[in-house]
Amino acid sequence: MAFEGPDGSGKTTQRKLFKTWLKSEGYDVVTTKWNSSDLIKPIIKSRKAVRALSPEEFSLLHGADFRHRVEQIILPALWDGKLVIADRFLFTGLARDVARGLDLDWVLKLYQPLLWPDLVFYFAVSPITSGKRVTATRMPNFYEAGQDVTDVEDPVESYQRFIARVIREYESLALIFNMITVDAEQSIGDQHRQIRELFLEGQRRPWSPWNTDAVAEWLAGQGMAR
Amino acid sequence: MKASKARLVSVDGVDASAVIAAARRAIVRPGRGGVSHWDASGIFQDLCVADAAAGAPSARTLLLLYAADLAFRLRWEIRPALAAGRTVVAAPYVDTAMAFGRAAGVPVGWLTNLFRFAPPAAERHFVTATRDAGAGFVGLACQRVHGVDRRARRKLLGGAAAHLRAEAKRRARRAKP
Repeated sequence: MAFEGPDGSGKTTQRKLFKTWLKSEGYDVVTTKWNSSDLIKPIIKSRKAVRALSPEEFSLLHGADFRHRVEQIILPALWDGKLVIADRFLFTGLARDVARGLDLDWVLKLYQPLLWPDLVFYFAVSPITSGKRVTATRMPNFYEAGQDVTDVEDPVESYQRFIARVIREYESLALIFNMITVDAEQSIGDQHRQIRELFLEGQRRPWSPWNTDAVAEWLAGQGMAR
Repeated sequence: MKASKARLVSVDGVDASAVIAAARRAIVRPGRGGVSHWDASGIFQDLCVADAAAGAPSARTLLLLYAADLAFRLRWEIRPALAAGRTVVAAPYVDTAMAFGRAAGVPVGWLTNLFRFAPPAAERHFVTATRDAGAGFVGLACQRVHGVDRRARRKLLGGAAAHLRAEAKRRARRAKP
């Protein structure tokens, strides 16, 4: 299951609440966050710190981080029958990279073989709400504010411009990839109830046929292919 | 108006020393050109010091990292030199990574898309030696790639070299009048 949406949409709060509830229901849950692999994250972090990434490098390194997590965390957990909650999935890469001016087709193919979640929740907020929530407690960082592509010196102003582009891309992706849109402007409790209901309505599924390539390649890499 | 002498030359192979030697030979006038080496961005240097507990990368992950390094080289070394009218020898360039990917069973379509951002070289050279394969991208990738034992590593290295030889032959056949 994937939780997607712009910064400040409250998806991390919902992910945590949902995980706690799932555990109380007896599920074995594994969480994976965007840009969090032990192997690639330090490489990205050091380059972000010196603002050394072009949109292509940004995209390719996040693609590498995602691939490594798919192979090391997500697929092994699913293979063991666990439930995986992804706090951001490949759609984050698509929305941000396209907002940075890269070609959607090129970026999408970087993530092949594609692994589709059974459910994707898209937490929809307006650019204004996202901006208000993010800047209420901190200053957005250089890449978060999209200052590498907006050329706007003020991080808050740059964030407003960049997040509007990211949200536009997210809205298109939500339609194309049939995400479940959650109105993230409503109360935390209402959102949580909606997510629980949608989860309970869904049935446990075997490997989706469109995930066959991703699973087969991973198994071959494990030396387990039959 | 004087015609620009800007020229992108690629030298690809699995033998790191032979690739560098061939790259130096490929610069006709040393004062008007330079070599763009692999891992100018330091990504693979950082990868080598990563904790083993982080898990070994797959061939696709290594190729995504190679592409990120190549994007860095294009931005800081190759494109500025070409814009200044110089000859740039990219050693290695795209063919080395393609050969490793093909030997590792990565689909050609994915590899072609991955390197779509890299401009084609005006001249392509292939080094077929395999003696000093340890220090280059293919050598390192074969060492680090997930789920490969010593025998499979040798096979992977041999496979990449064979793909490069085949590509060199194909190029040579096409060049014949």
